[in-house]
Amino acid sequence: MKIVVLVKEVPDMESKFKIVGDAKIDESQIAFKMNDFDEYAVEAALQLKEKFGGEVVIVSSGPDRVTKEVRQAFAMGADWGIHVSDPQIDEGDNFVVAGALVKAIESLGGVDLVMTGVQAEDDQAALTGVFVADMLNFSHCTNVVKIEVGADQKSLTINRELEGGLNEVLEMATPAVLTIQSGINQPRYPTLPGIMKAKKKRLDLKKAADLGVGAIGEAGSKTKFHKIFFPVSEHKAEIIQGDAKAAAKTLVDKLRNEAKVI
Amino acid sequence: MARILVIAEQRNGKLSEATLELCKAAKEIASGLGATPAAAVFYKDDSIAKEVANYIPEVFAVVDAKLASYDADLFVQAVKAVVEAQDVKGVLIPHSYDGVDYAGKAALAIGAGIVSNCNKAAVEGGTVVFTRNTYNGKIQEQRSVKTDKFVATFEKGAYDKEAAGGAGSVTAVSVSLTDSRRKIKEVIATMAGSVDISQAKIIVSGGRGTKEKDKYNDVIVNLAKKLGGEYGASRPVVDAGWTDAARQVGQSGKTVVPVLYVAAGISGAIQHVAGMKGSQCIVAINKDPEAPIFNIATYGIVGDLFEVIPAMMEALG
Ligand SMILES: Cc1cc2nc3c(=O)[nH]c(=O)nc-3n(C[C@H](O)[C@H](O)[C@H](O)COP(=O)(O)OP(=O)(O)OC[C@H]3O[C@@H](n4cnc5c(N)ncnc54)[C@H](O)[C@@H]3O)c2cc1C
Repeated sequence: MKIVVLVKEVPDMESKFKIVGDAKIDESQIAFKMNDFDEYAVEAALQLKEKFGGEVVIVSSGPDRVTKEVRQAFAMGADWGIHVSDPQIDEGDNFVVAGALVKAIESLGGVDLVMTGVQAEDDQAALTGVFVADMLNFSHCTNVVKIEVGADQKSLTINRELEGGLNEVLEMATPAVLTIQSGINQPRYPTLPGIMKAKKKRLDLKKAADLGVGAIGEAGSKTKFHKIFFPVSEHKAEIIQGDAKAAAKTLVDKLRNEAKVI
Repeated sequence: MARILVIAEQRNGKLSEATLELCKAAKEIASGLGATPAAAVFYKDDSIAKEVANYIPEVFAVVDAKLASYDADLFVQAVKAVVEAQDVKGVLIPHSYDGVDYAGKAALAIGAGIVSNCNKAAVEGGTVVFTRNTYNGKIQEQRSVKTDKFVATFEKGAYDKEAAGGAGSVTAVSVSLTDSRRKIKEVIATMAGSVDISQAKIIVSGGRGTKEKDKYNDVIVNLAKKLGGEYGASRPVVDAGWTDAARQVGQSGKTVVPVLYVAAGISGAIQHVAGMKGSQCIVAINKDPEAPIFNIATYGIVGDLFEVIPAMMEALG
């Protein structure tokens, strides 16, 4: 099977966030990593490759530093990749980025499955996978927690997660886009030989013009960014001061005598 | 007059609460834009359309046996048909499992920009500005669309539920639906387990901050036992196999309303909070003072849970 995995780099959410000019986060303070959900997608793709053969191609859009996450996917076992590297795409919204990813996928031809995370941890939009499916005119399924591929390598039986612990079991055919939910598998750690091999794997660099991407930047976007800000909550917890010991003691006292819940 | 159209959602014939929340949202947005609120219901009969008419003045019903269960391809066709037949300015969709599955496609089908996962909308000079959570709830973003029409998905709880009491009209819209590319085989329950934490009076939950299975057991399970309660977990803890799925709290897990909920090493993502925000007293223990969990907690301790919890055990005696 020919499988594409769309991988995004996101900030580690435990980083210290600082906002610059209501518009951007100060990236100098941020540690970056692979979007968690995408890591599950990489693993799911590798498991299918191990079963059916074929190749796993990583496609990622973003600045130079995203090659780190692409190489991480290589180290896990992916075969090669395309780095869509163009500031004019990065400036666009999900629609622009999805359009660029689609061009990259189309340049491969003969793709059976496209997999990516349910959502990115940073923008939490859950749009890219669905956009990509629509633009490729592939069928799709979101929130995938189980994938079975028939012997014909075309028929898929997919579990779609629903609320309250339910799963909808669906049948569909390739080519398809699947957005992968966390917990579907246990993503493997790259091995040392894997990391060594990853350094030599092919990574093509593509600009918007190379891919023939039409909609770029702000102009190509369907949405307009206004600003970002830290949430202002009407409610804030009563923060109990002191070192761990003192704070724990005060807390227990409050739970007993103020809230009266223990 | 232009309409702000809610796409209703049902599971097994039961209308979702999110639909009623969006009826409220549609009313507010419509009044800011000088538009009217309306809803569209796609179902096998008109029972749900009639029900929705209690909440909103105008309901468009697409009735087809193929719509007994939600389907992405068919919902997109139905949205397109209603939007083309009526004067629709904005489409509101729950940011639910079904909603995220088709909202993006629906937006492309009607040539609209989409802002997803919103928690607020305000009309500013004729433009609807949407507010949404980003970076795991640490930062809010505001965005609008550049297109004539808009699609927006809203997170659960963004608006209060609209109260029943209206007597809206129901108008049938006929659509010739194609066959879907997906076929539903069955719906199965996956969270069966021996415990039911939803009835517990005290719950101590651990998140990714508990680091590993043994440590989770060491601190979370022991504190729960000491307090005579149950232990719970955020999703990453269940994903990693440190505890059973039946103990997961949140949107895709259990909804709990204990007297005391302790969240240790849990950041407070909306999907987790959805399952525990009704708790009477919430304690958050987190080393990150900016963790969103502190915005819903009653008491908070900023610190290392591996120091704070043993100290609590000691203080409990
Ligand atoms: C469709 C969907 C459904 C979902 N359903 C659910 C659900 O039902 N339930 C759920 O929980 N999640 C759910 N999620 C996942 C959710 O979005 C978050 O990813 C998840 O809740 C994060 O879990 P966490 O807080 O344990 O981990 P993180 O967000 O990684 O937070 C870990 C926290 O631990 C703190 N920490 C680390 N070390 C320490 C220490 N030593 N002492 C104190 N604090 C420490 C950190 O500061 C951080 O705040 C769902 C997601 C999606 C997309």
